[in-house]
Amino acid sequence: MDERKGWSWRLAGLLSPAAFWLGIFFMLPLMLILVYSFGRSGVYGDITITFDPSNYLRVFDPLYLEIIGRSLAIAGLTTLFCFALGYPLAYFITFKGGRWKLALLLMVMIPFWTSLLVRAYAWVVILGGNGIANRSLQFLGITSEPLNLIFTPQAVMMGMVYSYLPFMILPLYASLEKFDSRLKEAAQDLGASRWHTFWKVTFPLSLPGVIAGSILVFIPSAGEFVIPDLLGGSRTVMTGNLIQQQFLNARDWAFGSALAVMLGVLMLGAILLYIRKVGTDKLEGV
Amino acid sequence: MEEYTKQIPQSEAKPDTKPAVKLSGVCKRFGDFTAVDNLDLGIREGEFFSLLGPSGCGKTTTLRMIAGFEDPSEGTLSVAGEPMLGVPPYRRPVNTVFQSYALFPHLDVAENVAFGLKRSKVAKGEIGKRVAEACEMVQLSGFENRKSSNLSGGQQQRVALARALVNRPKVLLLDEPLGALDLKLRKEMQIELKNLQHSLGITFVYVTHDQEEALTMSDRIAVMDDGKVRQIADPATLYELPADRFVAGFIGETNTFSGEVVDTAKNRAIIHTADGMDIEAFVPDGREVSKGEEAHAAVRPEKVRLGGEGDNVVSGKIRDVVYLGSSTQYIVETSGGERISLVKQNIRDASGEKEGDEATVAWDAENCLILGG
Repeated sequence: MDERKGWSWRLAGLLSPAAFWLGIFFMLPLMLILVYSFGRSGVYGDITITFDPSNYLRVFDPLYLEIIGRSLAIAGLTTLFCFALGYPLAYFITFKGGRWKLALLLMVMIPFWTSLLVRAYAWVVILGGNGIANRSLQFLGITSEPLNLIFTPQAVMMGMVYSYLPFMILPLYASLEKFDSRLKEAAQDLGASRWHTFWKVTFPLSLPGVIAGSILVFIPSAGEFVIPDLLGGSRTVMTGNLIQQQFLNARDWAFGSALAVMLGVLMLGAILLYIRKVGTDKLEGV
Repeated sequence: MEEYTKQIPQSEAKPDTKPAVKLSGVCKRFGDFTAVDNLDLGIREGEFFSLLGPSGCGKTTTLRMIAGFEDPSEGTLSVAGEPMLGVPPYRRPVNTVFQSYALFPHLDVAENVAFGLKRSKVAKGEIGKRVAEACEMVQLSGFENRKSSNLSGGQQQRVALARALVNRPKVLLLDEPLGALDLKLRKEMQIELKNLQHSLGITFVYVTHDQEEALTMSDRIAVMDDGKVRQIADPATLYELPADRFVAGFIGETNTFSGEVVDTAKNRAIIHTADGMDIEAFVPDGREVSKGEEAHAAVRPEKVRLGGEGDNVVSGKIRDVVYLGSSTQYIVETSGGERISLVKQNIRDASGEKEGDEATVAWDAENCLILGG
């Protein structure tokens, strides 16, 4: 009994710094947002604490619903593209990388070394009306007029896929790296061609990485506001921009909070659904 | 179970049928290292064949070449009469039981067992039937829906076996399948494997470094060392007539004497050892030695007696007495410093030789064998 108590004190000692940090800087602001979302914003940005669900009802305005829907669609497509580009690359690095493995992984991570803002601006330079992409196309005689590349949903997605690809590749690499290649031999021994071996053994066993990568890409891209701001212009507004506007420009913290809570709940639901669909029964025992 | 025995004729090893596996002049090199050196093997249909040797002798590489995971650097290889060079593992009529089992962790027992059948497009209903049969055969009925990670080592072993056998391979390859099990379970599985092989009539190629395991289970054994086969024979011949010093030392315990041949007669030779003993030994056909030649003779500990008479009588001092349960091992050191090991059955009698006692040991030339190489 005493020993147990000793353990629980030690455990508490180990956990308290993190608990303190998360409590002050994560739980408290989150609670505040939750409280604000039921409040009412005054004309000068002050908030009256009430229990008023009207902020949530405003979210169902078709204008806002369209923005939320677009955000989720763009985030979903970004995740899909990141997966389609990232899986082959992670597979290649893991199984064919040999002594270049570390160097290749480093190259995946290098873009992280500069700030997201700088990298997003680089895309503005590339995709702009008089940017590198347009000038190259015209120089090669493929187009005669500058194409409208920037300020489109495609531009936003291009920027997001570029920014979040490492978040997909790294968990995929981590889970493929753990793969026991003797299982490949076992599958081939039992008559599975390379194709079957991949789809019946390698891929199912890499699902934890697929799930982790998808979540790591989907969550930040659904809430992204810098990239759509720079590459999407006024025509590709995402939920992140909307929330930012409510807090910084419109000074309607109550509605902004309600939007943030809604986005959070929607994403939680989407992720639970996703894990239920792809994961659980297959993940057991992996 | 019945179906297996119906389809495949029940058979002991048939000496004169076409070989189930044939390797001729097979070499395998990894860079500068030669793992398998000019190997010739003919494994008969329906035979329990073991590749036995210390680690690094090339036995696993040989098995992997039969399975198709490695290609020979030289030589030819055929399974059931079909040449196998360049044929990928998934098109070979063999299945493997891996040392680590290599069960698919994301599949349950039944799905693991059905894996091969699904790949070869067996009809759905047929798959279910054969999976159930295979599980029953290895006594895993009722475990079909367990994940492999929730099974004990012995059970995983059985799944690996069922997963391979359910495909009815021409040849089953087993790579030290019992290595990870505890002694008692290993003994049980040895008997079970042998019985399975007997009732299915499938050719088993069994890789092991455990000489006792090989002796208990095999119809024939190839003893390998350093990438080469030292001897291929049935267990009794290997034990009684080992080809060379390596085989004699690797299979069971043995006393070896080296020296100059001083006299020969019909099937007899006398070796004069460095420390002055004259050992009379039996010369098997084909291992004739001549006077003045250097030769080696070996005698098994259980064929040496304490005291008494014999063709070879040596006296010395008992240095060590080890009680082994059914028998006792004595180490007798001669005046010349040679140590002779002997094993005596434990029978209640008056003799109670102790460490330090003077003793005479004797053995007959019949049981003392001239070795080749």
